[in-house]
Amino acid sequence: MSSDLDVMIETLRRCEVLKESEVKWLCGKAMEVLVEESNVQRIDSPVTICGDIHGQFYDLVELFKVGGDCPQTNYLFMGDFVDRGFYSVETFLLLLALKVRYPDRIYLIRGNHESRQITQVYGFYDECLRKYGSVNVWRYCTDIFDYLSLSALVDNRILCVHGGLSPTITSVDQIRTIDRKQEVPHDGAMCDLLWSGAFYTLVPIRPHPEDVTGWGLSPRGAGYLFGGDVCHQFNRTNGVDLIARAHQLVMEGYKWMFDEELVTVWSAPNYCYRCGNVAAILELDEHLEKNFKVFEAAPSESRGVPAKKAAPDYFL
Amino acid sequence: MGDENDLFSVAMLIDELKNENVQLRLNSIRRLATIATALGPERTRTELVPFLTDSNDDEDECLLAIAEELANLIPKVGGPEHAHVLLAPLENLATVEETVVRDKAVAAACAVGEAMTSEGATTHYVPCVQRLANGDWFTARVSACGMFAVAYRKVADAGVRSDLRKTYAQLCADETPMTRRAAAQHLGAFAGEIEPEHVRGEIMTLFKQLTTDEQDSVRLLAVEDCAKLGKILPREECVADVVPVVKKFAADKSWRVRYMVAQQLYELCESIGADIAREELLPSYEQLLMDGEAEVRIASAGGVSSFCALVGAAAAGEKIIPRVKELASDGSQHVRAALASVIMGLAPTMGKDQTIEQLLPIFLTLLKDEFPEVRLNIIAKLDQVNHVIGVDLLSQELLPAIKDLAEDIHWRVRLAIIEYIPLLASQMGTSFLFQKSEADGGDQLNALCLQWLSDRVYSIREAAAVNLQKLAEVFGAEWAKTHIMPKVMELMANPHYLYRMSVIKTMTLLAGCVGQELCMTEILPALKAAAKDRVPNVRFSVAKAFGDIASALDRGVVEGEIKPILNELGGDADADVRFFAQQSIATCEAKA
Repeated sequence: MSSDLDVMIETLRRCEVLKESEVKWLCGKAMEVLVEESNVQRIDSPVTICGDIHGQFYDLVELFKVGGDCPQTNYLFMGDFVDRGFYSVETFLLLLALKVRYPDRIYLIRGNHESRQITQVYGFYDECLRKYGSVNVWRYCTDIFDYLSLSALVDNRILCVHGGLSPTITSVDQIRTIDRKQEVPHDGAMCDLLWSGAFYTLVPIRPHPEDVTGWGLSPRGAGYLFGGDVCHQFNRTNGVDLIARAHQLVMEGYKWMFDEELVTVWSAPNYCYRCGNVAAILELDEHLEKNFKVFEAAPSESRGVPAKKAAPDYFL
Repeated sequence: MGDENDLFSVAMLIDELKNENVQLRLNSIRRLATIATALGPERTRTELVPFLTDSNDDEDECLLAIAEELANLIPKVGGPEHAHVLLAPLENLATVEETVVRDKAVAAACAVGEAMTSEGATTHYVPCVQRLANGDWFTARVSACGMFAVAYRKVADAGVRSDLRKTYAQLCADETPMTRRAAAQHLGAFAGEIEPEHVRGEIMTLFKQLTTDEQDSVRLLAVEDCAKLGKILPREECVADVVPVVKKFAADKSWRVRYMVAQQLYELCESIGADIAREELLPSYEQLLMDGEAEVRIASAGGVSSFCALVGAAAAGEKIIPRVKELASDGSQHVRAALASVIMGLAPTMGKDQTIEQLLPIFLTLLKDEFPEVRLNIIAKLDQVNHVIGVDLLSQELLPAIKDLAEDIHWRVRLAIIEYIPLLASQMGTSFLFQKSEADGGDQLNALCLQWLSDRVYSIREAAAVNLQKLAEVFGAEWAKTHIMPKVMELMANPHYLYRMSVIKTMTLLAGCVGQELCMTEILPALKAAAKDRVPNVRFSVAKAFGDIASALDRGVVEGEIKPILNELGGDADADVRFFAQQSIATCEAKA
């Protein structure tokens, strides 16, 4: 099995798609692995924590060039593998294939885009249809989304989650009781973990948004916004030093908040190929020393050439 | 049985030519040659080709495939005397909107024309060209331009040839710029087929007319004709008729035209010979090197060393080198980078003295350029100068330049310089590259090579490991033992697992080139210690490393020293450690 899988991984590393039958097989294997994982997956350091990727395949390759290849380097990806970029299929399947091949070296948790509803709007559904001519691959992948874990706890000290906290969750144990094998609901604890944000999205309104406390409504229509006091209270209750999360674009690639009790990590450089931001990953060594590696979008020479038609005569 | 199956599958392919699904249609089109073979020549001509002629309102993707495959049907329709049937579908395809389809159709039509007999071409190919050339819509006329050269070659009749020339003249004066562009683009190839007296007369008239076209997009295609005509015409006529046009183009008001000249000039100079080039075109080249548009300067700077080689050291020294000096401090970094990538090639032309006197200051300026790519381009071509003046004269600036690049904030710049180090080392020797710094007595470059091993970026650490291996191959085991090993061993104490893994990678690579003794005394003990590392990733790196170095060691050592450790790792708590240990055990056993 491992040699078939190694061939698939090599194919995907070249940004080539797998056959539909291979995707079906891979998703079957992935289900066996993921079903064993807890809602709060326990991870030992050292591990490198990554944020949103959004189908930017060549930037994921750049991430591996900076952070090291899997399995040499241990990775935790905090969701949003798909949508918006050109290569959601290759990106997600590469990460999934690595997960199946090296289950102890790489961990994937769910983001708000790992959802049937969202992927039909933001690109993954259309990409599957375009690349395979049918929606079967989309169906296999979205079925796997339901099995992805919701959060991870590194050495019992750092809680990693895609979005943020929920007013209905005060302890990590409450996350463990969620029945996660379902489409992301419109509200409730599971939705909030994937959708919530820290309060800095309100920058235009308030001069010092980090001073804002308590809970607020999220401008995204799902999840909540939470302030430093909420974060501090949660960390103290659960004996956690830090919450690492993704979900919100930060131009500098990472951003500390709330007296360094929360950090946002964003791993899609030049998001949507137009935002001009740099990306980052958070390297935790075996002593939990934190090291951010900032990187830029892959240069155009190292990207595959998208199939483009020659410009018609009259444009010259 | 087999035949029935074949017939059935061909029937299916034919069916799928009409399928609604684009992918299925495409698959079938790709098998047209197979279908034609099964149908036989007669039915291919009377059924398949007419069907294809009618399918010209398909998707562009399918049309493109049809155009491509039609060329492969030439042997399937019953030989040269029947090849003309293929012109019907191609003539249709040559008129569609999509450029790529038309281009493919024209290429296929030319192939069909080539395959025809002379009579066949006269009765079928030439009329087809004439119909397209007189087509209502510009797409037909554009396609026609590409088909004239073949027509002229295949047909000997003077009257037909004269008509072809007249029609081409008409296309050169077409009302749409698209058609005139196509006419300009194919003029050189057409001229190649035409009798010399007509080239001199009619073709040169057309050429001159195109060179004064109001559209710069037409003129810039006429620039390409200059080089082609330069090869066809006798030298005197070229000087009389083509060179003045080139000079005029070199001063054209459109920079795109001047850019084309800058790209084509060297080829033309080659065909008119060094003496005339020096007389006539050197001033134009000088002008282009000083052009107001950076793109033009980039294109002309790129030709500096080949141009100098052509006109010789004296003329180059007088006319070109002063311009090169200006370009070395050009406002555009891209111009400087283009210059830096070719300037070292001037050294052989200019000779030792001139290189030292004239070029060395320019090299040194570029080595201190603020833009890393400029510096890298110089370093990449250092060997060309090394042959002429030796590298010592550059050393004062070279080491600081390398050091600077080695610490550049962009990791790809660091990667580029690392990849040059082994090449530099093999050409210049240890004494130069690893000379002691006068300030602190440490050898700077050696320190850098080791510093890269602790770089923040994984790719740099990987490249650093390969670099050390290559240096050890160049300078030998003794050098590696004194200069590399001790420092590498120290790095094993890094508290971060990723850095320790890079050291293991380095040791694995070095093991292959430093000999068994050093492996036993230095590398093996370090790897043994690392096999007990608390991080599983480090342990499986060791397991992998043992598989890699086993081939460099005696069987006794493998059995006695390595196997026991691998066996232990084979029972590790971590699944990946077990996997890689078992893989390496298999490698060791395959060796035994």
